[in-house]
Amino acid sequence: MTYRLGKSFYVALLAAAVVLVAFTALCIESSQAAGTMKEETSMDTKLNLPAEVDGWKWDGKEERYDSKTIFKYIDGAGEVYLAYGFKGLVTRRFEKPGKPLLTADVYEMGSSADAYGVFSFERQDEEAGIGQGSEFGGGLLRFWKGDYFVSINAEGEGEDVDKAILGLGRAIAESITKTGSRPELISYLPGKNFNLVEKNVYFFRSHVLLNQRFFVAHQNILQLGPDVEAVLAEYGVGQEKVHLVLIRYPSEKRALDGMASFKKAYLPEARTKDIVRTEDGKWAGAEHYKWFVTLVFGAATEADAERLLQVTEINMKGKIQ
Amino acid sequence: MKKERAITRRDFLRGTAGVLAGVALGHGCTLEASAEQRPKVILVRHPDAVAPDGSFNGDIIQSILDDAVKILLGENEPMSAWQKLFKKSDVVGIKSNSWNRLPTPKEVENAIHRRLKDAGIPEEKIAIDDRGVLSNPIFLNSTALVNARPVRTHHWSGVGTCLKNYIQFVPEPSAYHPEACSDLGKIWTLPVVKGKTRLNVLCALTPQFYGRGASFFDRRYVWPYKGLLVGTDPVAVDALGAELLKRKRIAFFGEDKTLDVPPIHITVADKKYHLGVSNLSRIELVKVGWQEDALL
Repeated sequence: MTYRLGKSFYVALLAAAVVLVAFTALCIESSQAAGTMKEETSMDTKLNLPAEVDGWKWDGKEERYDSKTIFKYIDGAGEVYLAYGFKGLVTRRFEKPGKPLLTADVYEMGSSADAYGVFSFERQDEEAGIGQGSEFGGGLLRFWKGDYFVSINAEGEGEDVDKAILGLGRAIAESITKTGSRPELISYLPGKNFNLVEKNVYFFRSHVLLNQRFFVAHQNILQLGPDVEAVLAEYGVGQEKVHLVLIRYPSEKRALDGMASFKKAYLPEARTKDIVRTEDGKWAGAEHYKWFVTLVFGAATEADAERLLQVTEINMKGKIQ
Repeated sequence: MKKERAITRRDFLRGTAGVLAGVALGHGCTLEASAEQRPKVILVRHPDAVAPDGSFNGDIIQSILDDAVKILLGENEPMSAWQKLFKKSDVVGIKSNSWNRLPTPKEVENAIHRRLKDAGIPEEKIAIDDRGVLSNPIFLNSTALVNARPVRTHHWSGVGTCLKNYIQFVPEPSAYHPEACSDLGKIWTLPVVKGKTRLNVLCALTPQFYGRGASFFDRRYVWPYKGLLVGTDPVAVDALGAELLKRKRIAFFGEDKTLDVPPIHITVADKKYHLGVSNLSRIELVKVGWQEDALL
């Protein structure tokens, strides 16, 4: 039997390559961040992690990783964590005879916004009511609280295993006494009236991570970096999706530079208004306000794009002096 | 120096990104610039290869592997096919995969090992290894390799397939993570493996078709496909493995849900390293055995 397909698979693979060319940048950004980061291994004094939950006992060993050694633990995947100001990781394993091993990973991040960010980046399941934001599905619990992001999983399944995972999660969340704030940028987003999909709000600082959730450009045309904060939000129902990116730069000059760079690459035909009709018949636009830049992609009409930009600015004006 | 033009979302919307992608990858390939060969890949499945409790049936796995190798080599009997692939004088490394959540099944390792011995290769000239290959004398002195691992999604390379399985042949695997492990094909040009791979067995017994994050394993996204993809061209085998996972995502989610990164290393292995054929329309897929919900 001969297998034949159209070009679609091949085109998709090649097109996707463009996203990946930027991936090296994440490694570079991450290693730079690691290089300038003050090493802290003070989790001992901050957290009193549990030793037993539902009969699963801590095996007494603890593995610790910092920004230089995290690659040994997660097979080189530390770049994602480093992009969120990773400071340290403590891993504990919990055993119960005849039952699957539980592993708890407690990551200390650069800030509560970063802890939220690394949680939001991979979020896909329903809220589990643990910490300040959580999800549980397929035997994996993920949550954030304060400056910490926590991941707990088991090497097997079962009702009692799920119960133990959730119990361990609650115990670890209790040991984190200090809470933190979600990124302030989220409070400026147009909300449910615009069909905001709250599960698909992502916080990030790296254009590579932005591209993994919503491809904008393979180069860093928004001039994102460790000192820049950004959120990506999805609006809509079904297949009709509009995306909004809201960025806070450290200064108005940086915001103006970022806006100019974006317009040059993405909206070169824009004249009086920074809103244009793109090749898919939808509308994309940009707006600058003080040290913020707001972008809209995929709006059905020019008025829709304008309205999202305006509401975001109104939200900011109401909270920023 | 002339500044490179940014490739944006709009380039994809207007359909020019394919050409730009080739430039960005540093090789001016076109969509049709594939290899001339038409590699054969065997998809073999059996409804009882995986039991309801997730355990593997070693006898059935041996049988479907034999069928695949026989048809791949165009032989009437399995052993004549195995003997066509391996000489009695060969020193053979079976490159396995030991990732604890979804390793190469022991039943697959044993099936390969048994046939190598049946082909007349002494026990002491055969080794099975993954993370220790660079210190394993059999692998270091090998004249032939068999590449056997499960197919699954992977945070850094999009999919974990045969090409990815050789990352343990370099002392610093993380050096290959940039750009979604696009340069994995380069490993296949290193002396320790170059030209040695006689057979690629991509285990699709219980593939993982979706995942997010670095250490991601989610039992919801693993299904009993109960098959093997077998071939001598690792790129062709991997291209079909990636397509299988993609089709399962579409069937499961109703759309091809985005992976952390797309599996571009398969195309690069074809276009840049000339290790095989990634264009599905130029691969001969031979389907054997059980075909229910085959997807391919």
